[in-house]
Amino acid sequence: MPEYTIMRDATISARKKLGHKTVVVLPVHYPRELFTAMDVHTVELWGPPGPPHGPDAGRIQAYTCAVVRNALAFLASGGADAADAVLFPHTCDSIQGLATLAPDFGGWGKPALRFLHPKGGDGPAARAFVRAELSLLADRLAELTGRPLALPRLAEAIGLHARIDRLRGDLLSRRALLGMGDRDLYRLLRRGEFLVPEDHLAELAVAARGLGEERVQRGVPLMVTGYVPEPMTLLDSLASSGAFVAADDYAAVGRRVPLSFPADGGDPLDTLAAKAFSMPPCPTRGGDQDVRMEHMETLYRRSGSAGLIVHVQKFCEPELFDVPAIRRRFARIGAPLLYLEGELEASLSGQVVTRLEAFVEMVDARRNAP
Amino acid sequence: MIARRVRYEIVSRAIGPTLMAMERWRRRGRGAGGAEAPFGPPLESTRKLKELTTLHYLAGRFADGAVPVAWVTSGFPVEMLRPLGFHTVYPENHGAICSVKRMVPELSEAVEREGYSRDLCGYARADLGSVATGKTPVGRLPRPDLLCCCTNICQTVLYWYRALAVHFRVPLVVIDTPFVYGEAQPHLLAYVAYQLRELTETAERVAGSKVDRDALGETMRLAREGTRLWAECLRAGCARPSPWTGFDSFFHLAPIVAMRGTRECNAYYRMLRDELNDRVARGVGGVADERVRLLWDNLPIWFNLRDLSTVLARNGFNIVCATYTNAWAEAGSMIDPADPEGSAARAYVHVLLNRDLPYKLSIMKRLCREYGATGAIFHSDRSCKPYSIGQIDLMGRLASEEGVKGLLLEADHADPRSWSEAQAYNRLHAFMEMFG
Repeated sequence: MPEYTIMRDATISARKKLGHKTVVVLPVHYPRELFTAMDVHTVELWGPPGPPHGPDAGRIQAYTCAVVRNALAFLASGGADAADAVLFPHTCDSIQGLATLAPDFGGWGKPALRFLHPKGGDGPAARAFVRAELSLLADRLAELTGRPLALPRLAEAIGLHARIDRLRGDLLSRRALLGMGDRDLYRLLRRGEFLVPEDHLAELAVAARGLGEERVQRGVPLMVTGYVPEPMTLLDSLASSGAFVAADDYAAVGRRVPLSFPADGGDPLDTLAAKAFSMPPCPTRGGDQDVRMEHMETLYRRSGSAGLIVHVQKFCEPELFDVPAIRRRFARIGAPLLYLEGELEASLSGQVVTRLEAFVEMVDARRNAP
Repeated sequence: MIARRVRYEIVSRAIGPTLMAMERWRRRGRGAGGAEAPFGPPLESTRKLKELTTLHYLAGRFADGAVPVAWVTSGFPVEMLRPLGFHTVYPENHGAICSVKRMVPELSEAVEREGYSRDLCGYARADLGSVATGKTPVGRLPRPDLLCCCTNICQTVLYWYRALAVHFRVPLVVIDTPFVYGEAQPHLLAYVAYQLRELTETAERVAGSKVDRDALGETMRLAREGTRLWAECLRAGCARPSPWTGFDSFFHLAPIVAMRGTRECNAYYRMLRDELNDRVARGVGGVADERVRLLWDNLPIWFNLRDLSTVLARNGFNIVCATYTNAWAEAGSMIDPADPEGSAARAYVHVLLNRDLPYKLSIMKRLCREYGATGAIFHSDRSCKPYSIGQIDLMGRLASEEGVKGLLLEADHADPRSWSEAQAYNRLHAFMEMFG
């Protein structure tokens, strides 16, 4: 297991000492390059997992997803007090609701930033809208930092994040050639949620050196789709059952690696706006369901996966609405499927572990059947 | 095509109205019926409402292949489709009918077997279940040629209509209306207006005809007038006693949702407004002995409206205003027939569910003051997360800042399986006791 010396709190403190601002970011999609260009450190908040930090989760009904309930409790209990602002991307109805509940009715007293991204369309109107939203966000960050956006810095940041994205994409798409276990790989990838980009890039580069030419993962290759790989003990259970994640379609991980990279040059804000339309299909951004199914099937086949795990958060509408289509598509190609529903628990229950073990056993037997 | 069109026109213009006339004749002299305790006399207009709804669904049975058919969300700028002769179907309205008829569990279970979670919107499950099984309480729904979804009421409709698009293999138009924090920014309005222009192109292609701009202007004018008339109906509830109950208003909402921008809609609301004003003049109340006036927040509990209203009315409680019905009386005033796309963008972006909590609170406070509501029931709706998030804080603020007592009542707008009757009525009785 790699020894990571830079941890979340240390990162935040180090940036503070440099006089840089920190922004806590709710899931999922946001223009990280813009923050990097303006020396604003971002720390993502996926819950956090486990029981809510304090009573404020009770201000949101229990039939709302744990990501949002836990985030409100975390913010209201002072968990993010070291940060200077929170960014609420326009991910779903629940995060949209949190984006007014916490700043307007209590829970977050510092600046609240919002990033609205279009749902569904990728035509000229949607592209112009993203461009305008980026400009608006840049203005808000300028208010926060006291410095305007410098376009050359943005161009550099776009280049830096493209290098990061390429490495992340490599590690995921060539997973079977990487000697690292799932837990370590995901730990590495998810460190991008809080590390300074340069540090994350350095760690990714070290890991990428381990990519060989020969297949080293010998376990049962599985594809996973869902919102966020929490609890991470899921990966331990997979490993102990003899499986590994060969293809990733988590909103938090694989769906944030672009499918293509816009050409350099031109207006960096235009380049950044174009990036929003080069991402893998994600139900939180709308889009054609068939296109997503096609993408998932390609990912599955290309990775040589032998089964699919659909791992969704309870009450997460964007993910849940696609489940029947995923079932249909993968039944059609004869792929075994395991459906898991979680609520950001700290660890998997015994029942779920048993289901996982049985699934891996079944897939393995099927794979080895004459 | 011609034969189908002829059949559609005959049904909607001759057979349907004749059947309605025969029904009226059959009931002649019977009036709307006497008062049935604990309620006041029923509204005469309700009969007309039933006729309108019946005729709409009857015509719908023969619409596909005869005229272009669009399935639309309740917050969709349907005015843009009217000049092209679309027959519009509102799956949410259909979902409400399914709920009243207690069909939602059966329809929902059909799609739960396909993998749809019970945690998803009950309207969506009912609709998808109806599509999957062909079962509906309205006889038959016409197959859509176009799906039209506007995200101003929730993102749920986006996911729901994506699934419908795959099923029906027809074009899906999404009017994406980003959430408004404070006031809408110019680029947001420009984005929505642009989509509305794109909508026209797609709708024209599907309908095979071009939009007549004069007809569009007239539709917009009718929509604005309809909104004003609906607002006047609601305003009658300011009187003491209120001439109707909030539960009545939930049913009478149907035309402004489903027939907005038509002469029939406006004629209906003129009739309803006049009847309500007449009842106000005569001191006739929706509840026989109105004692306490309440605000309702969120969608109705469709499958339990009668029981719930009876329990409240028996104790002298009346729902005199609702954020849900009021939402249809607000934004429509922004519509300008001279600028259909620009003004529709402004109007449809500024609907209640697309705005932040301080705005919602301001609306609630205003309604409580204007209608004299001293209590509020917050329907915590498992099926509608965007409407429900923030209710706990809203209830607290309404109590501390306006002295309005609140009850959070957990249920579901469509699915009775999420309704715990004993628990709910226990809470309701405790709430009513607070008023002495």
